[in-house]
Parts: sequence; structure tokens; C-alpha cells
Amino acid sequence: MSKYLDLSIQEIHELLVKKEVTPKDLVVECFERIKENETLNAFITLNEDAISIAESLGEVEEDNLLFGLPIAVKDNIVTKELRTTCASKMLENFLPIYDATVVENIKKQKMIIIGKTNMDEFAMGSTSRTSYFDAPKNPWNKNCIAGGSSGGSAACVAARLIPFALGSDTGGSIRQPASYCGIVGMKPTYGRISRYGLVAFGSSLDQIGPMTRNVYENAVLLSNLTSFDEKDMTSSKKEKEDYTRFIGKEIKGMKIGVPNYWMSDIVEEEIRLEMEKTIRRLEELGATVERIDIDYIENAVTLYQIIAMGEASSNLARFDGVRYGYRTENPSDVEEMYRKTRQAGFGREVKRRIMIGSYLLSGENAVTYYNKALQIRDDIKKSFEHAFETYDLIIGPTTTTVAYSLDENLDDPMKSFMDDILVIPVNMAGLPGMNVPIAFNHNHMPIGLHIVGPSFGEAKMYQLAYAIEQDKKLNLNPKEEVA
Amino acid sequence: MEDKLPKEEVLHVADLARIAVTEEELETYQVQLKKMLDEVDKIKEVKNYDEEMLICPWDHEASLRSDEVGEVLSNQEVLQNAPSHTGNFIEVPVMINE
Repeated sequence: MSKYLDLSIQEIHELLVKKEVTPKDLVVECFERIKENETLNAFITLNEDAISIAESLGEVEEDNLLFGLPIAVKDNIVTKELRTTCASKMLENFLPIYDATVVENIKKQKMIIIGKTNMDEFAMGSTSRTSYFDAPKNPWNKNCIAGGSSGGSAACVAARLIPFALGSDTGGSIRQPASYCGIVGMKPTYGRISRYGLVAFGSSLDQIGPMTRNVYENAVLLSNLTSFDEKDMTSSKKEKEDYTRFIGKEIKGMKIGVPNYWMSDIVEEEIRLEMEKTIRRLEELGATVERIDIDYIENAVTLYQIIAMGEASSNLARFDGVRYGYRTENPSDVEEMYRKTRQAGFGREVKRRIMIGSYLLSGENAVTYYNKALQIRDDIKKSFEHAFETYDLIIGPTTTTVAYSLDENLDDPMKSFMDDILVIPVNMAGLPGMNVPIAFNHNHMPIGLHIVGPSFGEAKMYQLAYAIEQDKKLNLNPKEEVA
Repeated sequence: MEDKLPKEEVLHVADLARIAVTEEELETYQVQLKKMLDEVDKIKEVKNYDEEMLICPWDHEASLRSDEVGEVLSNQEVLQNAPSHTGNFIEVPVMINE
């Protein structure tokens, strides 16, 4: 079997230019790898047209590093005529009639969509176990979760089935699985990437972002995902940026803050120790690292429950069995159709969240809970802004534990929220956040570092992430590391 | 504190969400929803800086497009995912009883 997909994208590009490899070869290899690793359950749907698309791409575009490269897309981002299920029975047979703007953008770069990745149902969960199509598995230990909700995207990139995947992040859903699977995942600033065509969960929190094997490839992909989009009212008009521009520059003089709460005993000791080691190395490389306080970050889970579920209850009202999706059989009237359709079409986690959200937005509760949460949300944002007056970037661990067993914590409705306690504040404030792997624990499970930047500060984050990656030089290929 | 919600309350919440609930589900929800609401209740104890609210973390100008007819979907596209349709109409069960 060929091994092109183990090469860096610059090396692959060179081979494409020299015509020593074709996009079709890459797609074929990609499908072979997916087939060999079927037990990972990373994909829900494969794109049967991928090979013919690869054949029809034409001449290699020399300056386009992404030309002809395969990419996986999370299954809550719509792809024209390619099934998009949101890992739900509700959309089991849904064929979108248009492409999400981000999908149009990757197609403009002549990237080839290989398939749609597994995830938590409607992106609700932190383990991908709420998927209607069973959970994806962690390539470092197949008895463990890949994390979630972008679990399939994280697993397929980590297992080196494909160099790129798109994920979405409402409360950590790119960064947390990236941490559990040992890859690089970026949730950009709110508004940086169009959300048009992303099936809405928490509209004021959702962002699409790149998930990749390394920092450089992440920056290249992000640079090509952004565009102003008149179909998304919150899309930013900021110019496109080259996010690789600071990569390789030294981090001497950089000022970095570490929130005390993120280094408290809510985080496993082994992870804290690795953080401390990394901090010492950053200081040796010339950065200043200081402990700081960010007010309200400890309230992240409570806020998330109120805001994300409130928005979800409203967003998921559209699944009523009328225009698309599942419909219950032979309902006696329209009310029964709604209720039974939603009872059978949604899984347990989704129903719990919709119910709580509906409750929180009803009558007086809207003032008691929702308005209060929005006030604290504003305070979190101000608290971060205050910190960024002094610090270039903020860091901490991405997760409180490493990936745990697929059988663990199945009955605790709160566990999935607690897994994201360190990453949620970033969505509340609309800031960019990314995961970069820094170590392995005693069982050789990946540990990740979380970098948070000011609004539209992604380029600096890549600079720091790259410096860390180069310093650590970890072997992040599970096939070579795990027997 | 009671460790589960009263049945009537779960039924009320399920009614708001238009989700049917079986007797068995009801019992599970009584416990699970209570746990979630306990977490949510913590918001009452948090002291805020000020009254300002943040609904959406985006401070650039809203980009509203001009109100002009753009591309339009064909009937066939609109109907291709509908669970049931007759001609150009989506079919639903009885909505108004006599």
C-alpha cells in the first residue's frame, strides 16, 4: 500500500506538481486506510463520487497547497447531495440541497470531500457516544472515547486516515476531542468562518474549525476557510489572513497568562505536571508566563447549560416532521405528529437538552436564568478582555482528564458538560481557542494544551503552538507508537 | 432537596418541547432533569459586575443583505426531503378539527 498520506502536505504537493502522484492516488489510499480502520467508526457516510471528482480536477494549481487533498467533513455541515445526518435518526436520510459556505470554500481550493464524520447527535455531547450510528473510537486505545462532539473528525485525523477534517465547536467540540486524540484543533473567533450550512445548535456559540495532524497544516487550512458571507449575519468582513505568517518566529518576549482555576485540582495531577513542564520550557524560550485570575470561568458549565440549551431548544424546533427528516407513522393529528416524531427521532441527550432549554426560556424563567446568564456571559468577556490588555495569549490544559473508557460515566447527565469545563468560557466570549498536543500520560494517552487568543488573534496562537510543537517533537502517529 | 422532579413538572417541560414521553422515560427524566436543573440553579448565586448582557459575542456591524430576490430553489429540491407530499404540496395530518 502507498504511504503518501504519511507525508507532509508540502511533500505531497511537490509530488502532485511533479506528477509523481495524482489526486486519485490520494483518494484511493485514503479509502484503503478508512477500510482498514473500519473499527474506528470515524465515518457515517463516504463520498462515492470522490474518485471521479479526483479524476476531473485537471491541472495542478502550483501555489495551492490544498489542491487535490482529501478532507473529511463533520456530519452537521451540509454537503449538496451527500447525506448529512447530524448523527441522528431524525436526519438519517437527509440529502442537502446546497453546500455550506465553508464547503464551497474547500471545493474552490479543489479539496476532495471523502466523507462525513461521526459525532454526538446534533453535536450534543463530549464523547460522541450519543451518535445514532454508535460511537467512534480513540486511535490510541480503541476501548476509549475519541471525545466529542467532533469525535469522528478527531479520530480519522489522529489515525492518519486523512490529513484534514472540519469540526464544529459550541462548547469545546473541536478542542476537546483534538486533545483526547492528540491532534491540532482550532476554534476560530466567532464570525471568522461562515456558519451558513452548519446545522445550528447554539447559534451564538457555534463555530466551524480545522482539525489537522500539525500546526502548520491547521494554519494553511484555516487561511482558506474564511470568507465574508452575506448569508451569515454574524460573518466578519475582516480581510482574509495568511495564518502561517508568524509560524517559525521565536516567542521571545511573548507574555502569557495562566488562569489559576485552570491549574487547580479539578485537573488530573499528571496533566498539571505536564503543563508545568511546558511552562518552564516556554520561559526558557524567552516567554514570560504568569498566573492570573479570569473572573467567572468557574461558572462556565452553568452558563453553558442555560445559554446553549436555550438556543438549542429554539433551533431544534424546526425538526417537526413536516418539511424534512423523520416523521412518525400514521399520526392522528398534527400535534401527535410533532410529539411522536420528536420522541422517536431524537436521542436521549438531545431530548434532555431541548426540554431543559424550553423550560429555561419559558415565562419568568427567561429573566431568572437566561437574562442572568447573559449578564455573566458579558462579564466573562470583559474579564478576558481585561487580561488581554496585559497578555498576548492565555494557556491552560484543554481537558481535566485524558480520554476515558467507552463504558465509563454513561448514566451521569452532567459528566458530558464537566468534560468541557476548561474550554467552554472561550465560546461564551467568542474568542479563538486551540488545542496542541504536549505529552502522553502513563498509559500513553495524549495530553493537550489549550491556547486562547484575543478576538481575531489566531496568527499569534499558531506562532506559539508551532514553537511548542517543534520543542516537543512528539510522535503523534498511533500506528507507529501503539503495537 | 428532593432528588427528583415531580411528574407533572416533567410533563409540563415535555409539553413545552413538544416531545411525547412514555411512563418509563418519565421516571428517568424525573431524576436526570433534576440534576441538570440543580446545576442551572447555581446561576442565582453568582454575583455579576453589572447589568449589561451579551447575547452574541460579535461586535462588528451586522451584515444585512439587500432585500432582493436571489437564487430560488426549485419545487423538486424543496420537496425532495419532505416525508410526504402530493404534487407541489407538503402533506400533513389534520390540523383543524370541526
